[in-house]
Amino acid sequence: MSTPIGLTIKDKTRNQKICLLATWLRRLLSTRKIKGFRLMANFWESIRSGILKNNAIQIVEPASTLQEEEDPVPEEFVLVEKSHPDGEVQQIIFSSGGDVDVYELQALCDKVGWPRRPLSKLATALQNSYMVAALHLVRKLPDQEGNEEKKLIGMARATSDHAFNATIWDVLVDPSYQGQGLGKAMVEKMIRTLLQRDIGNITLFADSKVVEFYQNLGFEPDPEGIKGMFWYPRY
Amino acid sequence: MLSRGIISNFRTPAIPFPTTCKYSISDKDLESRGFILRRTISDLNLDHLNSVFVAVGFPRRDPEKIKLALEHTQSLLWVEHKRSQKPVAFARATGDGVFNSIIWDVVVDASFQGIGLGKAVMERLIEELLEKGICNIALYSEPRVLGFYRPLGFVSDPDGIRGMVYSRKQKKKK
Repeated sequence: MSTPIGLTIKDKTRNQKICLLATWLRRLLSTRKIKGFRLMANFWESIRSGILKNNAIQIVEPASTLQEEEDPVPEEFVLVEKSHPDGEVQQIIFSSGGDVDVYELQALCDKVGWPRRPLSKLATALQNSYMVAALHLVRKLPDQEGNEEKKLIGMARATSDHAFNATIWDVLVDPSYQGQGLGKAMVEKMIRTLLQRDIGNITLFADSKVVEFYQNLGFEPDPEGIKGMFWYPRY
Repeated sequence: MLSRGIISNFRTPAIPFPTTCKYSISDKDLESRGFILRRTISDLNLDHLNSVFVAVGFPRRDPEKIKLALEHTQSLLWVEHKRSQKPVAFARATGDGVFNSIIWDVVVDASFQGIGLGKAVMERLIEELLEKGICNIALYSEPRVLGFYRPLGFVSDPDGIRGMVYSRKQKKKK
């Protein structure tokens, strides 16, 4: 069985490993529904019950007094993991540390059909952003030790004054990976990270077609009649 | 399908200011009326600024946090009243320095409203942003001041784009 990534389970006793597994599984099942998660949850459920049956070990789940929102969002973690029958493991990794290659980003922007922007400006924009979140697809081939393919498949960034306001810009997901809830997960993690950093006012500007997408994440258009305005916009 | 946050990348703006004088009130005029234009936070008394914010209806914010916000603000402009040495108008803009910027905290002390100070601050802030090459200048306007921003060149919901704010209470349960 492949080990759950994101947990350092080296050098822990067996019981501790199982407790960690159980906690991780519990969190997984209570997280927002993503198709990939459901598959994984079933997989882990079967493993867990197998462990219980074979070893008669009592899994003591820690009392769930903390709400999910209070757990700090790690800077990098695995969002989805799929194991293929041939042994290849695919992971989609979320990171908020700004690890985005500007050439890959430009290729991604091309893929979604955005107008080209100068590379140097893209790089500067990333550097000047308070948070750059990214989704990377990592493919680990079974027989190639340590060899893995890493591809940028999503990005979102936020500018901020580090104290009161943050504005989310440039949310994009590779069209080949859309429809899986990745964009939602990415933005949700960003929000949570921003709130944990005590930035209370999180804003964005949404094309009319995606207003509903953001409403489902907790954004409100024109709250109390407050209007987004742009200076001499060119359509 | 996803939010872009940019309307257009390359734009030469229409000329919004009269050609004889760049601004509706020149720097000289302002000075002769007893006001000094400032572009840095040095000499800006944050407690005085906070009072101006509170007087126009902003929540009272921690001055240390205000300091942090101003230190991470790309452009700001304020008007100092010479006689009292107090800030009477203010505006700032945050952003990524190349594509987008948002203007926040536009205030004019109630005793000094209606004489063009807000406009003076906005015109200069916009020009500073344009000079940096920033084409996308946005802000969030309360309904009662839409009429202040429109003559300055701001358009609300262009092409159906909506300003949205995250609300912890508003989250839709699926």
